[in-house]
Amino acid sequence: MSDPCGGVERRLHEYLDRELNDAEVEQVRRHLHDCPPCLDKFALQEHLKRLVKVNCQHSAPERLRNFVAALRRRH
Amino acid sequence: MTGASNAPAAPDFEGHLDALYRNALRLTRNPADAEDLVQDTYVRAYRYQQRFEPGTNAKAWLFTIMANLFRNRYRTRQSKIVEEPVDDPGNDFYIYERLREGGLPTHLRSPEDTVLGREISPEVVRALDDLPTPARMVVLLVDLEDFSYREVAQILGIKIGTVMSRLHRGRRALQRKLWRYAREAGLKADVS
Repeated sequence: MSDPCGGVERRLHEYLDRELNDAEVEQVRRHLHDCPPCLDKFALQEHLKRLVKVNCQHSAPERLRNFVAALRRRH
Repeated sequence: MTGASNAPAAPDFEGHLDALYRNALRLTRNPADAEDLVQDTYVRAYRYQQRFEPGTNAKAWLFTIMANLFRNRYRTRQSKIVEEPVDDPGNDFYIYERLREGGLPTHLRSPEDTVLGREISPEVVRALDDLPTPARMVVLLVDLEDFSYREVAQILGIKIGTVMSRLHRGRRALQRKLWRYAREAGLKADVS
């Protein structure tokens, strides 16, 4: 198989974001199991995605919450 | 089922308030504008709620309203319009390669010592806020809200291919910025 790493690298984002079908997921998973460098690259992307998620959590301020509740009651 | 009305249950718009707000906060980059944007979004959503098809994705519908409002009314408010960078070597694994090359001062050699190692880090927000708006919008919708590429395409009114290229660009830029912050922190530690 020519350049299995390249093929997987190109699809790492889609793999991470659950955009691949079952067969593709299995292909990528098998390669990551056998290829430490690709697994490292995947771990980096996964970590970056988690950093974004963890650091952007925020609750709406009370004032906004009340505003929306009042809107909902009026409709 | 005596007394039950035939009208469908009102859609739950309120349940998505926190999601809309945290997104608006990163879009507008200031809390006052974020509140205004979310308020305007809900006013519009309730005004046109009969256009919402029950059983479909309320979260995506609300985010579509907010994206349109942001584009039409709020983008011009931003004091700093962030342009697309000209230096994008297209490297998806920038940090991975820098780490392998040993590009950090010795006392910051492992990923755990850098911004990558700390989960809670203001540098991540800073790096996100510095992204060009088109890339930032896609990164937020995928990473923060777990929308599918197709949903993001619908929310923003763009093609799926465009979603993917903006997402990749955004993630690459985040890597470069976080790496630079880590180096700056290391250099500061060196001279202190």
